[in-house]
Amino acid sequence: MPAMRRAMIPLARRRSGGGTVYHDLGNLNLTFFASKKAYDRQRNLKVVTEALRRVCPELDVQATDRFDILLKGHHKISGTASRLSRKSSYHHCTLLHSADRSALSSLLRPSCTGIQSNATPSVPSPVANLTDHAPSLQWEELLEALVQQYNSEFGLTSALTPVSPSDESLFPGVGNMEAELRSWEWTFGKTPKFRVETQLELRDEQLAAGCSAYLHMEVKNGLVESCRMDIPANWLPLRLSSTLSEVLLGERFCPHRAAAALTVFLRSESGQLHRRLCNLCEVLLAVMG
Amino acid sequence: MAAYGLFRSFSSGFSTVWPLLTRSALFSPLRLAPTPYYGRTIASSSRLSAALKFTDKHEWVRVEDNGTGTVGISNFAQEALGDVVYCGLPEVGTQLAQQDEFGALESVKAASELYSPLTGEVVEVNTLLADKPGLVNKSCYKDGWLMKMTIANPAELDALMDETAYERYIRSIED
Repeated sequence: MPAMRRAMIPLARRRSGGGTVYHDLGNLNLTFFASKKAYDRQRNLKVVTEALRRVCPELDVQATDRFDILLKGHHKISGTASRLSRKSSYHHCTLLHSADRSALSSLLRPSCTGIQSNATPSVPSPVANLTDHAPSLQWEELLEALVQQYNSEFGLTSALTPVSPSDESLFPGVGNMEAELRSWEWTFGKTPKFRVETQLELRDEQLAAGCSAYLHMEVKNGLVESCRMDIPANWLPLRLSSTLSEVLLGERFCPHRAAAALTVFLRSESGQLHRRLCNLCEVLLAVMG
Repeated sequence: MAAYGLFRSFSSGFSTVWPLLTRSALFSPLRLAPTPYYGRTIASSSRLSAALKFTDKHEWVRVEDNGTGTVGISNFAQEALGDVVYCGLPEVGTQLAQQDEFGALESVKAASELYSPLTGEVVEVNTLLADKPGLVNKSCYKDGWLMKMTIANPAELDALMDETAYERYIRSIED
């Protein structure tokens, strides 16, 4: 999260479930719309793998039974998610052509290591760009091949038609939909309950002193449900640690909101206590990402 | 009747008893009997498997004694979905029209939308599913219930399929 904020990368949660992906202009997103009856992810992925084999016959690409596409049997170049409604469906997948690999790995690395929950564990896979193994593969060439293969597979003769996804006249309501998919309530407010258990390393620079404190926090629907900090009483009076915990209750598990809530509280102390409180707040906000 | 209603509410969590009773007084078209209706207690065991009504989208609804409808998905649906890993359910208080999308169940297959069988207001959501989404597969008619709602228009129930009609329906689509 902090890396994302620094790089000013927007976050959205999709309605098709599954894991987190990093998108930039080197990562092609393909969406296959079909009726519910015609929903067939393997067939769609076949369009992708056949198209790739046409433009680069030497490429070893294979769709797995988990609907990933692997290069040379172990580099993931595509992942899939989908949504079924009453009569229709969409299946979308990524295709790593030339994405920024270092941004991808730093942004998808969890910043908080003490998180426990019942959420489905994320299975990180070693990834690769197509251009790492087929450097001459041009973006436009890839698009053309996909269009041709799609037409061939589904018996169609459609041409590639550019559209602007943010065109409100073409897609009425898309602006509102985007806002909703990026809203805190949708991206974080539906988060399954999780626990944070970690050691906080506190420091008092002026006295060159430090201590460890244990943090236990429970977060439900993105809000702090409980917070306990075991801070040695000779570092900070117990009344201050417990009041600080109380200030956080009900707040979003978010450094901005927590910082705002804590600012008022910090003003009440001075000197050594103030210094140590500021350090504690800093460390806490870092845990929140 | 009232005593039985109390027992049924208790099994889903004591803390929900009073809110359910108050809400049903405001919204339910059915009234709780003011005196215990002893004639009904003999039928109590069959009420535990009270009639399910089904939609063509494989959701079921069961009318409880307090007049609310418990909603879930059928065995056919849970088998088709595969292992459910996440349940996206509505907030309590959400107003739903019949056939409105009220959430989605995520499985390996896809995120599959859920449609409201009736018009009404969500009064309870199965919080067990947050930690145990697999209950939808293991116990789709009992512990894997999804939500409870008021029944604003009881006539809508008449148009839904009973168990026999639903079984016929499944056989016809499987062919």
